[in-house]
Amino acid sequence: MAERYAGYDVLGKRHTPSWNPKTREVIDARLAVYREPRFFTASEWRTLWALCERIVPQPKHRAPVPLPSYVDEKLQCRQLDGYRYASLPPQDEAWRRGLAALEAEAHSAHGAAFTALTSVQQDELLRRMQHGQLMGPAWQGMPCQLFFEHRVLPDITHAYYAHPTAWDEIGFGGPASPRGYVRMGLERRDPWEAPRAQAPGTQAPGSEAPRGEASRATTAPPQGSSQ
Amino acid sequence: MRQYADNELVDFAVVGTGAGGAPLIARLAESGFSVVGLDAGPYYRPLEDFASDEREQSKLYWLDERLVDGDNPIVMGGKNSGQAVGGSTVHFAMVSLRFRPEWFRSRSLLGYGADWPVDWREMWHYYGIAEQALGIAGPVHYPWGPWRPRYPYRAHELNGAAELLGRGAEALGMKWTPTPLATVSAPRAHAHGRSPPCVYRGFCRFGCSTNAKQSQLVTFIPRALAAGAEIRDLAMVGRIELGHDGRVAGVHYHREGRWRFQRARHVVVAGYAIETPRLLLASATDRHPHGLANSSDLVGRYLMTQSNQAVFGTMPQEVRWYKGPPSLAITEHWNYDDHKAFFGGYCWMAQGPLPVEWATIQTSARGLWGQPLRDAMEKYNYQVGLKMVGEMLPDERNRVTLADEKDQYGLRVARVTYAWGENDKALIQHALNQMQMSLEAVGAADIFRQEDDTNHLAGTARMGNDPATSVINPDGRSWDIPNLWVCDGSVFPTTGGVNPSLTITSLALRMADRIGALASRNEL
Amino acid sequence: MSSRHPPAALLWATLGAVAIGGAGLLLRSRRPRAPTRSATVRAARRLNRAAGLLATSVLADSAVEHYRGSFHNRAMVAPLISGALSLAVSLHGQADRKAAAHRVRDAAYAIAILTGLTGTAFHLYNVAKKPGGFRWENLFYGAPLGAPAALLLSGGTGFLAERVRATPRWHAPRIGALPAGRTVAAATALGLLGTVGEAGLLHFRGAFNDPFMFAPVTLPPLSALCMANAAFGPKRRQRWLTRAMLRLTAWLGLAGVAFHLRGINRQMGGWHNVRQNLLNGPPIPAPPSFSGLALAGLAALGLMEDHPDG
Repeated sequence: MAERYAGYDVLGKRHTPSWNPKTREVIDARLAVYREPRFFTASEWRTLWALCERIVPQPKHRAPVPLPSYVDEKLQCRQLDGYRYASLPPQDEAWRRGLAALEAEAHSAHGAAFTALTSVQQDELLRRMQHGQLMGPAWQGMPCQLFFEHRVLPDITHAYYAHPTAWDEIGFGGPASPRGYVRMGLERRDPWEAPRAQAPGTQAPGSEAPRGEASRATTAPPQGSSQ
Repeated sequence: MRQYADNELVDFAVVGTGAGGAPLIARLAESGFSVVGLDAGPYYRPLEDFASDEREQSKLYWLDERLVDGDNPIVMGGKNSGQAVGGSTVHFAMVSLRFRPEWFRSRSLLGYGADWPVDWREMWHYYGIAEQALGIAGPVHYPWGPWRPRYPYRAHELNGAAELLGRGAEALGMKWTPTPLATVSAPRAHAHGRSPPCVYRGFCRFGCSTNAKQSQLVTFIPRALAAGAEIRDLAMVGRIELGHDGRVAGVHYHREGRWRFQRARHVVVAGYAIETPRLLLASATDRHPHGLANSSDLVGRYLMTQSNQAVFGTMPQEVRWYKGPPSLAITEHWNYDDHKAFFGGYCWMAQGPLPVEWATIQTSARGLWGQPLRDAMEKYNYQVGLKMVGEMLPDERNRVTLADEKDQYGLRVARVTYAWGENDKALIQHALNQMQMSLEAVGAADIFRQEDDTNHLAGTARMGNDPATSVINPDGRSWDIPNLWVCDGSVFPTTGGVNPSLTITSLALRMADRIGALASRNEL
Repeated sequence: MSSRHPPAALLWATLGAVAIGGAGLLLRSRRPRAPTRSATVRAARRLNRAAGLLATSVLADSAVEHYRGSFHNRAMVAPLISGALSLAVSLHGQADRKAAAHRVRDAAYAIAILTGLTGTAFHLYNVAKKPGGFRWENLFYGAPLGAPAALLLSGGTGFLAERVRATPRWHAPRIGALPAGRTVAAATALGLLGTVGEAGLLHFRGAFNDPFMFAPVTLPPLSALCMANAAFGPKRRQRWLTRAMLRLTAWLGLAGVAFHLRGINRQMGGWHNVRQNLLNGPPIPAPPSFSGLALAGLAALGLMEDHPDG
């Protein structure tokens, strides 16, 4: 998928009035997320990687947002949501159980680990989870569709769309303080916003402008993950 | 800031410093009472502490554990619960609307819910004071309801999303208006600081880092401090203590690593509709085994939220809805038109979700993930949406109770049980149909509905004229214990079809006057 | 529609040129350096100066506002071109001591009048097509209805300047059949009222958040009243009160610039957020239109004093 806002770089506005010191501090910390798992075990980490790659598949031509690291951080640092469905266990337990159950379902359906399945097979399993069709004993009664809807989807997709890479991708104005916006009407934008979107396919992948200064390097996914 | 010692007997200890607590603290202090306001959350300095980032700013929400269940469990956190000095007004969308007068007599005049023990004319007076105090920026002519004085600031410029609401409403033959908002459109000089006009940065529900938003943090809290009140932040109140005389003696609160006790002549609970009943229930004693002020058994019952469903679509033009307050335009048409096959009313507003919130809507309302999610999200700058605030009827089965699980303070966690009634569902479907027609009328494509969303809370310590059917009397005083009061949205007998914050603040201002009158008659 | 933003450098260049041009008009000494042929020419040159100051205000104001509007309609360059033309010929006219109308100046002023009229039509359309049409909020935030009229006034004042200049020797200056002094006074009164309306509308939008914002809706109306009295009232040798009011009004126009600069400082980020605050904050080039009109009024008084009832 070619980029709609090629050349747009929210991080490039760090030292403009659109960013304040607190925002720089926060985004720096976001970009410097601890890469290695602290909460998950090595095998849980492998499953989580494969899961994240299906929930938010990322283009190969740019450094990926390390989604599993953000999920690990949420659990390690006990960042809560302020509510929990009574039928779901607390998030720590829910994730461990859910990842183990996913592996068990993969073995049961295909005789292989989730990480060894093709992406088509992985998506199929996830769809069944989304529709409440996985009910193996490994779930220990945790409703799989609630786990999918209230843990898998929000914890992973929030991590993606809270990252400057995603803001560039969707053309979001990004941080805006003290400078906000002047031109708010339809078809109007300020010079510091993303330019007009290009129709997909008009810009070849890999030809975008250099990224912002912060490093986007990430540890490679562990052996055994799907392609 | 004036500080009181724990063993100093202050006149009022107010638990919670939000839309209800902060104005009460300020007015009581201005009337000469000694007041301590306690809040579980931190006292933020927005100019330094607030970042332009959704994830970071979730620190403003009540993130401690709560259990949700029932047929339609309520999503908590940023949808309805703040944790900061200033309460949920630090993260609210600033929509500041008056009730339709008939709603104060919902049962007698409109045939549903319950009557309020206050007259709409009295509330009209306090709405005016609240609007001036909060510097509401609103239209020169408000299309609905009885006459009101001019808003102190002019309405804000419409963004593209709001303009589309206007065009859609006009196509449907409905009136609409720029929304009255608690953020200033011109410089405002407070007694203790300045608010510059809004810069339209769009992070309103994640904390205003410019202080244009007239939250309690910027309005009544500084007034309270100037009048000699103390604001004690990071102070989680866990229990209200009774003395030997059966009246409250003070509050136990956790601060800086240990439990402490503040003595007070009066305790006002202003923790909003979850924490208020939680505290009252948790303060049960042998004499009050079902919690304080609960002889009616209604503490925690009649919990109400408001329907917050939405319809979204894609426009051919760029909308870039992330600019400006999220709800710059509104129509209250269906709050004032009674040709409906259901009780209650609703309004709808323009929308402007930021990326994480928009992703949440795409995943939860449409079940999107994978490449389809990324593809859909790339249309971000072309999206348009209308979101309702709809009345849900009081049902005593919807309630807050105490679970056995304990939180980090060792306090029992709240369990929030909710189910929509048939009237609620009929109202929601009507609203979704109407909003969809409005989007179709402006040429939106790929229209989809968000069928499950709620916001705001009310009802768990309802106000009334009869101790058998209410918890709080018309002065805000509990029927059971004369020096235990409630001053927040818990007291609402019905929720109305508009955002509650202005009504909560107006009730608080009224309550301060009532307390003053009682004091002058030695009835305090 | 334009998808590119005109470079901000162009905006700064325009503002800089305007500042220099405006200073050129105002800082010229009142007394002519060389003896003039007649009081008529002196009055005409004052009117050229007034027209120039109005043109300066319009040029800067429309540059900023149309830059904010991203020049989404190509026609939005028209007031910049016409305003610049009007300013240029006004500088020329202020230095010109000949007692004859100048064809190029006349043409430039005619273009200004036409552009002002067309601009008003465009602005009316802009407000009318917004949802809600002519409601207060669209008047606040839509194209300002009175702004193009300043260009109309510039052209009109310049047109009057040329007609006065063209007075044959030993005749009293007339605009058509009307006495020039009274005509200019009437035009000034109308112009002042219109500008009061514009300033009042925008100060109302600002909720009169500073007490000084009442100044442009209290003092200039009184000046307009005095000018109306001069235009339609009995003949009088000296109008010292009117003259004082006009001078105060001229001063108010300059004070307004200072107040607006202070107002920009009161926006979030002040001068550090200049790209937003120059566009969203109080318009710096707007108040001098009062000064331009006051100068026209003073020229009218001069005409009436030199040629009573002429």
